Amino acid sequence: MTDILQALLSGLALGGVYALVALGFSITQTTTKTLNFGQGEFLMAGALVAVSALALVGGKGGAPLVPSDVTITRYALAILVVLGFLAALGVLMFLTAVRPFVHSGGMSWIMSTIGFGILLQNSALMIWGPGTLVLPSPLGESVIRIGGAGIRAQELLVIAVSGIVVLALDHVLRRTRIGKAVRAVAANPDAAALMGIDVRAFVIGAFVLSSSLAGLAGVLVAPITTASAFMGLGIALKAFSAAILGGLTSPRGCIAGGFILGCLEAGVGLWRDEWREISMFLLIIVVLVLRPAGLFGRAEFEKV
Amino acid sequence: MRSTFRLPALRRLAAALAATLLTCAAAAQDIKIGFNADQSGTGAAELGVAARHGFELAIEDINKAGGVLGKQLVGVIRDDTGHPPKSIQNMTELIDNEKVAAVIGPTNSGNALAWLHIPQQKKVPVIVPVATATEITRRYANEPQNFIFRISMVDREQVALLVAYAIKASKNQKIAIIGDATGFGQQGIKDLTEVLALHGLERAAVAKFAPKDTDMTSQLARIRESGADTLIVYGLADANAQLLRSMEKVNYFPTTLGTWGNMSTALLEIAGPKLSEHIIFATSIAENSSPRAAALAKRVRARYPKLATFVSAAQAYDAVMVLAAAMKKAGTTDGAKVAEALDTGIPETQGVVKTYTKPFSKADHEALEVSDFRLARWKAGQVTAYEDDITKTLTPADFKK
Repeated sequence: MTDILQALLSGLALGGVYALVALGFSITQTTTKTLNFGQGEFLMAGALVAVSALALVGGKGGAPLVPSDVTITRYALAILVVLGFLAALGVLMFLTAVRPFVHSGGMSWIMSTIGFGILLQNSALMIWGPGTLVLPSPLGESVIRIGGAGIRAQELLVIAVSGIVVLALDHVLRRTRIGKAVRAVAANPDAAALMGIDVRAFVIGAFVLSSSLAGLAGVLVAPITTASAFMGLGIALKAFSAAILGGLTSPRGCIAGGFILGCLEAGVGLWRDEWREISMFLLIIVVLVLRPAGLFGRAEFEKV
Repeated sequence: MRSTFRLPALRRLAAALAATLLTCAAAAQDIKIGFNADQSGTGAAELGVAARHGFELAIEDINKAGGVLGKQLVGVIRDDTGHPPKSIQNMTELIDNEKVAAVIGPTNSGNALAWLHIPQQKKVPVIVPVATATEITRRYANEPQNFIFRISMVDREQVALLVAYAIKASKNQKIAIIGDATGFGQQGIKDLTEVLALHGLERAAVAKFAPKDTDMTSQLARIRESGADTLIVYGLADANAQLLRSMEKVNYFPTTLGTWGNMSTALLEIAGPKLSEHIIFATSIAENSSPRAAALAKRVRARYPKLATFVSAAQAYDAVMVLAAAMKKAGTTDGAKVAEALDTGIPETQGVVKTYTKPFSKADHEALEVSDFRLARWKAGQVTAYEDDITKTLTPADFKK
C-alpha cells in the first residue's frame, strides 16, 4: 500500500514537470499552429541561468552552490530573472525561427525551432561546459512523510506550481476577453485582425509565455535533477508525449497528460523496469487511435 | 630613424632564432611521453585531471633523480574531452607528430576501445591509468606482442571484491543488484550475477534505471519486497546519488556497495555529505591508505585543490614510474623493446598504490588485481579507506572471478 502511495507521489512529482512543459507546447499550438521543438533547451537555459544568477548573488564565482546560498527570496529572484531572460529568448526565437516561415505553409518551422534549440544547447556548452551543476532546493532537502511514503518539499512545490499555473491559464483562456481574443486569433487571424485584435502582439505573447513556462519548469526541476546542457531533451520528449496524450489544444489535457504519464512511469516501475516506457507509448498509441485529438482535445475539422 | 628601428628588430629576430635552435637541440635529448585523457568533457573528467597531476609529478620526480637513460622526460598533454573522435586524433598526433615514446591514458573506456589499434600497429606502449573496461588489455592478448597495459581498476576485479564483501555482510544472504540501462550497467549486472553464481548464490532481485532518472523509489520498493539487506549498484555517480536520495524517501537503507565511479564530487554534491557516506565502493587506494599516498595527495592538492579522485593520480603516477623502469631496463625507448621489458619484468619499483616487482606478464597486462583493491567511502567530503570487522576477515580465497 505504501509502495503504491509512494509511486503515486513520485509520479505526480515527475508529471508536474511534464505538465508545465506540455503547457508551453499547447500555448503556441493554439495561437499559431506551430510548436517550439526547442522547448527542452529553453528549460535547460532556465535552469542554468538560475544557477548562475544564484552563484552571482551568493558571490560564489565558479564554486558549486551549497544550500545556504539558496534562500527562498534569492530563489524567487532567480525565477524572475529567468522569466525575463526566457521571455526575451522567446521573442528572439519567434522573430528569427518562426515568423519567417509561419505563413509559408510548409514545415520549415519544425527544423528552424529544432535548430534554435541546438544553437542554445551549444551556446550553453560553451558557457557552462558539459558537466552537471547542482542547484540546492530553497525548501531544504529533508523528506516529508505522507502515510509512510516520502516526498521532498521541492517536489511538492513542482506539483503545486504546475497545478496553479494550469488553473490560472485555463481561467484566462475560458473566462476572459483575452482568452476569447486568443481563441479568435487561433481560429482565424485575418478575421481577428479585422475585429481590431492586435494579432502580432498575441502571437509574440504566446511565444513569450511558452518560453517563460519552459524556463520556470527549468528552475523548478533543477533542484531535483541537477542542471546541465543535456537535461532538456528527455524531459521535452515526455512533455510532448503528455501534450499529445492529453490533447495538444487543451491546457487541462496537457496537465492531465503530464500527471498520467508520470504516475504510469512510477507505477509500472513497481512491477517491471522494461515496461515503463513501453507502457507509456502503448497508452499514447491506444489513445490516439480511439481519440485522435487526445483525451481532452476537441476534434478539429479542417475545411477544404 | 629607419636604421635605429631595424637593428634592434634584427637582433631580436636573431636572438629568437638562437633560442628556438637551442630548445630544439634540448628537445632532441628529451624523451617525450604522451598523456591523452578527458580533462573537461564528461563526468570522468575529474579522474583525468587528477591523473594528469599524478603524471606530471612522476615526471618531475624522475627528472629530479637524473631522468631516464641520461635524458629528461617531457610530458605532452592532450585533452580528448571524452569524445572518441578527438581521442583518436590526439593519439595519431602524439605518435606521428610529437613522436612520443609511450602514452598514458585515457579516462573513458569507450575512448580507449576506439583507438587501441593505433598504438598497437605503431608499436607504442600504452599504460592505461583510469579506464576500467575488461576488454582493453585483452583485445590484442593473442597478438605476438600486446602494447596495451593497465595500472588501474578492472571491472571484473572490482566485482569480485564487492561480491566477496556483500556475502559476508549480508545476514540473510539476500543480495540485490541494480544497474543503469547503458552498456556499462548491463555488463556490470551480468558480471555481478556470474560472480554471485560462483559463490553459489542467486541475486535476490535485479532492477534497472535510466542514467537520467531522478526517482528510483519504485525499483527500491521491489528490492525491499525481495527481502534483500544488501544492494550492489552499477551506475555512474550522479545516478547513484539519486538512488541514495530515493532510499531516503522510502526509508530503506540496505548495505550499499558500488564501483569506484562513486569517487566523483557529483555524488557528494547531489546526495549531500550525509547520504553519500552510505555507499561503500571499491578503490585501489585512498589518501589515508599509506604515508606515500598521503604525501602524493598533498602535492596534488597543492596544485588541484578540488581533488576528489586521488586514486587516478596515484595510478597515473605509478604508470610513469613503471614505464621509466621498463625504459631503463630495455636501455632504449624503442616501443617493442620497452613493451618486452614490461612483459618480462622490471626491477622492483616503488609506486604509490603498491611496489611493483613483476607487474605484467605476456598473458596478463593488468598490474592491479582484486587483492590490490580495498573499500572506501566518503567521509566529511573526502574519500576515506573503509574498514570494519568484515573487511579484516576477507582473504584471497573469498575473491572469485
